[in-house]
Parts: sequence; C-alpha cells; structure tokens
Amino acid sequence: MKIKIKQNKIFPYYLILPSFFIMISTVLYPIVLTLFYSLEYYKLTKPYDRKFIGLQNYINIFKDSEFYLAIINSSIIIIVILILGVIFSFLIALILDKQNKLTNLLTAIAIIPWALPPVVNGLIWKFMFYPDFGLINKFLYYFNFVDNPVLWLNSRYSSLIILGIIITWRAVPFCCILLLANIKAIPEEIFEAAEIDGASTFQKIKNIMLPMLFPTFLIIITNLILIGINVFDEVVALIGFRKLGEPFMIYNYNQTFLFFNIGYGSAISYTITMLCGFLGFIYITYLSKRWKSYEK
Amino acid sequence: MKKKILTTTLITLTSISFFTGCSKESSEKNIQNPKSTEITFMIPDWGVPPQSMLDDFQNESGIKVNIETVSWDDIRNKIAIAANGKKAAADVFEVDWSWVGEFNSANWLEPLNLTQEDINDIPSLSTFIVNGKTLAVPYANDFRIAYYNKELYENSNLKEPQTWNDVAKNMEILKEKNILKYPYTFPLNANEGTTTSFIWLTYLRDGKVFNNDNTINKENALKTLNFIDNMVKKELINPANLTMSAIDTYRELLSKDAAFMVGPTSFIARATDPNQSKVIGEIEVILPPGEDGKATQTMALTEAVGVSSLSENKEAAKKFVEWYTSKKTQRAFFKEISAIPTRTSVLNEVIDAGEIKNPGAMKEVALLVKSPFPNGVPSYYAEMSNIIYNAVNKMASGNITPEVAVEEIDSKIKDLLKK
Repeated sequence: MKIKIKQNKIFPYYLILPSFFIMISTVLYPIVLTLFYSLEYYKLTKPYDRKFIGLQNYINIFKDSEFYLAIINSSIIIIVILILGVIFSFLIALILDKQNKLTNLLTAIAIIPWALPPVVNGLIWKFMFYPDFGLINKFLYYFNFVDNPVLWLNSRYSSLIILGIIITWRAVPFCCILLLANIKAIPEEIFEAAEIDGASTFQKIKNIMLPMLFPTFLIIITNLILIGINVFDEVVALIGFRKLGEPFMIYNYNQTFLFFNIGYGSAISYTITMLCGFLGFIYITYLSKRWKSYEK
Repeated sequence: MKKKILTTTLITLTSISFFTGCSKESSEKNIQNPKSTEITFMIPDWGVPPQSMLDDFQNESGIKVNIETVSWDDIRNKIAIAANGKKAAADVFEVDWSWVGEFNSANWLEPLNLTQEDINDIPSLSTFIVNGKTLAVPYANDFRIAYYNKELYENSNLKEPQTWNDVAKNMEILKEKNILKYPYTFPLNANEGTTTSFIWLTYLRDGKVFNNDNTINKENALKTLNFIDNMVKKELINPANLTMSAIDTYRELLSKDAAFMVGPTSFIARATDPNQSKVIGEIEVILPPGEDGKATQTMALTEAVGVSSLSENKEAAKKFVEWYTSKKTQRAFFKEISAIPTRTSVLNEVIDAGEIKNPGAMKEVALLVKSPFPNGVPSYYAEMSNIIYNAVNKMASGNITPEVAVEEIDSKIKDLLKK
C-alpha cells in the first residue's frame, strides 16, 4: 500500500516532465536570456564591444522620443480597435442570432476575415485605400463626394485609424462568434418572461443580455487589446517601416532585427512586457471588483 | 515471449546490416573522390547558377557546391544569427552593397585577392573595398541610369534633359499641357528605395553626398530635398508614391504614367518587354542629368558574393567566388539567368553583340560608376537609411520642411557617429 501511494505521488511528475522541458526551453529560457541581453550593450555587428551595462538600455529607452511616439501610436490603434471591435462584434452577433435561411451563410461569411493571414489582410486594405484606383476613392469620386483622390495613408492619424479599422475587421469574427455562442446559451425563457412583463427589445438587451454577457465582453476586450499590442503584419503591409504612425512592435522590430541592437531591443521587449503587466494588474484588479459586484 | 525476442533480434540484425551497408557506401564514395570538397552557397533565386554549370565547375575544380536558395530579406538575418553562434551561415553568400559596412565591422567577411586587371574591370567593386580590403565581388550589376519617354518629349517639342533644372521644367510643361498628370516618378515611401534615391540624386547632381568625416553634406542634401519638395508641391509626382514600393514607382514609366525617371538598369529590358511595358520603342536610355550638365558619376546598387570568415573551407570558397565572377561565367550568366555583367569587358561584349535591346547610353554610364561613400559603406547604414527615408517621407507628406528634414538627417547621423 505504501509503495502504491509513493508511486502515485511520483507518477504525475513523470507525466508532466515533457511539457515541463518544453516550457523551460521555449518559454522560460528565452525570457531569462532576453533579460540578460537587456542588461548588455549587444549589437550583432559589433560583437567585440559586447559588455554589461546594467540598466543603461532602459534609461536610453525612456530618453528616446520615438519610444513615446510608438506608445502613443499603439494606444491610438488599441482605442480604435476596442471601440469598433466591441460594438461591431456585438451587433454582428445579434444579427447572426436571428434565425433565417441565410444565417448559416452569413455566419460563414462573417468568419472569413478571421481566416485571412494578417499580411494578406493588410494588402487587401492597402489596395482599398490606394489613392488612384482604390475602391474607396473610386466610390467617393463616383458619387462626387471628392474631386481628387484622398491620400488616406499619408497622414499619421488617418493611417493609425485605418490600421485600427483593418485589424478590427480581422478580429471581429472571433469576438462575434464568442458572443453569439454565449447569447445562444442564455435561456429563452428569460426573454419570454421579460416580454410578458412588457420589456422592449432595447430593455431586454440592456437588462438581460448585456449583464449576462459581461464575462464574455471581458474576454473580448482582453483579446482585442492583445491584438492591438501585437499588431505587426498589417502595419508592414500598409505603411512599411515608416516612422509616421509607427506602432510599438515595429519600433521594437527595427531595433532588434533591422539595426541588430539585440541588447536595446531586448530592453524594449521587457519594457513593454512590464508596462503591459502593470496595466494588466490594474485591469485584473478592476475585473475582480467588478466580478464580485457581478456575483452579488 | 519467445516470438518477441526473436522478432527483436531480427530487427536489430537487419538494422545493423543496413547501417553497415550505408557506411560502406560512404567509404567507397570517399575513396573514389579523395580530393572532393563541399561548400555551401546561400543566394537568392535570381543568382542560382544552372546545375549544368555547377557540375562543370565541380569537374574542373573538384569542389561540389550545395545551393541554399534563400530570399534576399532573410539572408542578412541568417548570416548575423549564425555568426553570433560562431558559425558560418554558408561558406559563400550574397553580400548586398548596403550590408558590406556592417559585415566588415563584425568581421564576417574573408578578404579576397583580386588582380588589378579584375579590379579595373569591375567599377562597382569600389563599394566593396574597405580599407584596402576586397570583401566581396559584385556579380549582378545595377547602377542608376536615366530613362525618358522620347515620344512624349518630342510631341511636346522637348529635348533630352541635360540638367535637373531641365527635368523640372520639362515635367511642368508636360503637366501644363495635360499630357501626364504626374510626369515625374521618384520613390517617396518609408523604405530603402527612397534612401538610395536620395543618395543617387544628390550624387548625380553634386558628386558629394557625405563629407570625409562621414557626416552628411548639408548643402548638397538640402538642394536635393528642395528639388524633391518642389516636385511634390507642384504635383509632378504621384502622391501614391508615398506609400508605393520603389519598384512600383519605376513601373509608372512603363505604364506611360510618367515621362522621366532615374532607375535601375533592369528597366532597360523591362521597357522592351511587351508583358511589362506599354511604351515599347518610346523609351530612351540616357546619361543621367547633373547640376550643370550631364552627370559625371553615378552609383551602383550591386549584388555581390563573399566568403564567410567563419568558413571551414575558405580556399574552396574563394575558388568558387573567383569562378562565379569570372568573365566566362558572367557571359554565361547573362545568357542563362539574365544577370547583367558587372565586368565592363563582358558588358561591352553583350552590348556590342546586340544582346541587350535598346541599351542607349548603358556603356557610357557604366564607366561612371563610383561609390558615394568616401570611407566605404558605414556599419550603421541600416540606421542611417531609416533616418533618411523617414525624413524624406515626412517632408513629402507635408509634415516638415526641407530645412527641418536636412537638420534631422544631419543630427541623427552625427549621433550615429558618436556611438
């Protein structure tokens, strides 16, 4: 009996060993290595100058005006994604919730953007916004809204908003399917009871659907924020490595892989990680309080 | 149980026999070719030699070349990452002109020995000679050359432009006559093509882009920026160029959307290709304009091959580079893979033989190839390029003036020099 108990205690550890090694080698080791890199002057094209410099990389980051611009740019993209993403996800989910002959077809169509590779998504929208023959300018010109092509991508703010739009377009399908699944999970009897009590459609949505979808919205918001932070492919496809409207990940990529500043680039990665961690902590704290309030 | 033991034994014996046989075959191969050497060659698809040529090289030299076809965008990173691990990404690899400074700084390239005759025969080699060391040998030529639509010019009573002022005036006339909406094409997006365009435009005009201390020549740079700014403000350049790739801006000449450009030599062939060009027979290839007359220098943006300093087969690799860039091979490459020869002697041969359609002033321009970098391509070229193309892009977008742009370029380059 003692032998069996001992074996049972040890056996689970054997089972998790493969995953443990995978996590160590592919997650923990790179994280720790990146931390060490961030404390060095380490430029691949100057290997002989590699040296420990403590927190100097981090100090340099906070002195770099381009860092703050990148943060602002990414923040603008995230705000656009959140606003449009939440609204359109919910609206599309409501539309798909209505059962009719076209429901399955519409659902399939709604999922298509999700299946697109980000680079392809970026290129499609780049052509849409093309000054001369882009669909949007052709439409505006055809209906006499404009006399000359609008240079959508030439402005910093318009390009950031457009980036937010096209990333939202790719992100919405997942979010709306998630919402749709949870809408369908709401018992129909609740709506029927509310209807008997004279509740309007708006009231049903506000007082029944939204509160019950609150946890799902939290997941969606988290997902949208992460997508906004990690945006890369669409940016490259749309505006390349332009400083005007450069989001954070492009800034990080340039330092690390274009300029081969491994130390500095690693410090940037850690900086954004810590920044996100701090914001995430605030977010989780807020959610915890809201969740407790929700449970009551 | 007995069956399992028997099965295991049979499998083991079979495996041992198989591996023994493989080992024997390997030994036999080594005996047959005692002097055989293998090297790896990492190159984009456009530089891959035909297998028949590689076989011939192996027969002559005893060196077997294993090709690793890698996209141009990935080669630099592969080289850097491998070198960081004290490994050669390949024995021989592509060396773009813009990489030579940082590769030299990192000691990733093995110096090569070329005869003076060879050095004289390859004008673009100057870009790859740093501190007297030849670090790579160009194999595919690309230098900036001027093109104009002669038909549009003649129909507007215009003559071949001699100076950049002529170009500007010509473009204005073509626009005023409603012949073309945006008659001049020039890269303006935030990418490398815009940097090289800024450099060659300054070089063609004034012959000096960088000072001897590697700082930007502000006076000449400002002239270039003002020229670009004026062309943009007068709507002579398609605003779409701000987000269009450089190659697509050049294609505006082929689609008859532009009447003049300075661009890569590959467009000599493109202009006569019915699949790519709507202006067959209309394009004239000329000496680029300069400040007071025709330019007396131009820059090359060539592809080269170099030997890794970490290679374990350096001698074999050097022999391959020598073969790869020899006269005979360049002649064959032009025929087989359409690589424009970097050797003047070979280039003249193919032009004189009529193998390049409508070469125009190609021979004359080829002799003007020089490097705009007085001390070689700097190790910080990637950062500098980023600085320049972003400054030009912001200026062309109307966000900053030429004066601010040149100050931005100057101060940031000086910062790079301090590092």
